[in-house]
Amino acid sequence: MRLPLARGFALAPLLALGTGVVALVAFPLAVTNPYALHVMILLFLTVIQGESWNVLGGYTGQYSVGHAAYFGLGAYVTLMLLQFRQVPPWWGVWIAILLAVAVAIVIGSITFRLRGPYFVLASIAVAEIFRLIALNWTGFTNGAEGILLNEIPPLRIGGRTITDFVSKVPFYYAGLALAATTIAVNWGVQHSKLGYYFQAIREDQDAAHSLGISLPVYKNIALAISAFFTAWSGAFYGLYVGFIDPGTVLPVEVSVQFVLICIIGGIGTIAGPMVGALVLVPLSEALRANLLSDLLFKIGIVSEDTPTGAFLKDNLAHAHALIYGILVVLVILFMPDGVLGFAKKLFSGRRRQTPALPEVSSEKGSA
Amino acid sequence: MVFLQSLLSGVLVGGTYALVGIGLTLIFGVMRVINFAHGDLLMIGMYLTFYLFTLSGIDPFLSIVIVIPLMFAFGAFLQRTFIHRVLNALPQNQILLTIGLGLIMSNTVMLVFTSDYKILSTSYSSGSVQLAGLSVSEPLLVSFVITAAITGALYWFLIKTDMGQAIRATAQDREAAQLMGVNVRRMGVIAFGLGAALAGTAGALISPTYYIFPQVGGAFTLKAFVVVVLGGMGSIIGATVGGVIIGAVESLSASYVSSGLKDLFVYVLFLLVLLLKPSGLLGKSRM
Repeated sequence: MRLPLARGFALAPLLALGTGVVALVAFPLAVTNPYALHVMILLFLTVIQGESWNVLGGYTGQYSVGHAAYFGLGAYVTLMLLQFRQVPPWWGVWIAILLAVAVAIVIGSITFRLRGPYFVLASIAVAEIFRLIALNWTGFTNGAEGILLNEIPPLRIGGRTITDFVSKVPFYYAGLALAATTIAVNWGVQHSKLGYYFQAIREDQDAAHSLGISLPVYKNIALAISAFFTAWSGAFYGLYVGFIDPGTVLPVEVSVQFVLICIIGGIGTIAGPMVGALVLVPLSEALRANLLSDLLFKIGIVSEDTPTGAFLKDNLAHAHALIYGILVVLVILFMPDGVLGFAKKLFSGRRRQTPALPEVSSEKGSA
Repeated sequence: MVFLQSLLSGVLVGGTYALVGIGLTLIFGVMRVINFAHGDLLMIGMYLTFYLFTLSGIDPFLSIVIVIPLMFAFGAFLQRTFIHRVLNALPQNQILLTIGLGLIMSNTVMLVFTSDYKILSTSYSSGSVQLAGLSVSEPLLVSFVITAAITGALYWFLIKTDMGQAIRATAQDREAAQLMGVNVRRMGVIAFGLGAALAGTAGALISPTYYIFPQVGGAFTLKAFVVVVLGGMGSIIGATVGGVIIGAVESLSASYVSSGLKDLFVYVLFLLVLLLKPSGLLGKSRM
């Protein structure tokens, strides 16, 4: 009885996935508007960041608020190699990633002995140490001046130029491929023995330990996977934007953003970071383009000519961090399982006949 | 001589750190919530003081009389509206909630007052007095004296008064305190109010010697953690000692290594304490 039903259900998402992939691959062929491409690239970047953090924070339950360290490391090493040593980025990025993973394992070996809030505090402190080093080691990193990328050398394979990185299209495809890879990695984590170990640690680390799961080993593996893709996303960001400084790739705000993407969508799910990106990126772009204040004027809540209206028009464009804050507070208070969890609850509330989904335990604090 | 000089100014600055740390540890002790918006409360105290000074000419050290009740009310409001809803939630969610509140505070201030650096300069801002051959910055000395007085008053309040004992009882064992008839919810509101008032006071006291800008809080939040972890989470004497030690470490590394790297030493010390003696100098282990 259940088999054909299950098959029918599995086919629909597969079809949707297929169409989605084809549409995403064909997108730059149909749309040439650079701003549309820019927004898509930002979406990919945000998905990559969220999915990378998700491996450690979502599946393994280790709330790192210091991922800016690996993000900044990826961006800095790739751009420094390119700018100061003329190493092409498709080689440099591997050096950056390997370095980030090595650093992550060292940091992990030290900080994974700590639990709960102490681990959070230690992860923030580590990221701040990296920021201070990048800021003060002026001779090595250019300090507060940052690194401005002159140009990316054209990518040639066998004498043929694949791309010269002038348009946004190569970044679009690189971002898409990387986002797809991180999503696949999360799927792999969720469905593998390794992932079960991670989730066991998240649910109850003492119980997991008593069953023979080595906590330091598996926490470090989760961190290494997470740092690998986080550094990659940092390199991608640096190459795409073409300018980095300690204030844009290493501050605490960047670390918070990693967590936020997952919190808003739903922690420890594959779709969570994607939902988070779909909420955050359009929102901050709309604020930047002053769509929100235009909307307020149109509805007639405030008039454009009043001082309040002028104030909103001038300032709402810089308010995206404020909106982030409000979002976090609302999500934590009203949807602690993220948008996805909230939707799932609504859905299961409507259809009482279907057996309730096993609730993800939310009682396992580890202070 | 350089050593003594920088040690002394470090200890004086450390007094303010102790004040910030005591607020944080009080909140943690009573509610087991780590307040990541603590530095932003300090920032609000700085802005209050700045505008009291520029708009109505109230001296920054006198302004604490106004700042303390205002910040207490603000802290009590935060506790009643937001924090008490997550007291039984995952610690991660509590942390994220306070991070969110901090983002709201710093960015609202940025929207209203712009992100320009403000400087509160009084007639004594750069004054100094000679003390046994050492020169001591006048505003630092005054703020240290006030800090010491406030800390003393707080000890007295917590140890001698009924309400202080109720707060300590709640911190020791929430359920038992409730069984003894302590209104633990009210104690939470008072603890958060006191914590906010202490952070605001610290902001007022350092405003003559610091740049005032919306993002100033972040550094203080982290420093307050260092102070509290160093002294032992939940221990008020620990936070006092921790504050003075952190002030001294910062000042010494600024004069012997580089002033840009002084925070680096603080964070490295923090990691070392977390790893070697996570219960802190004077705290019981809660790991």
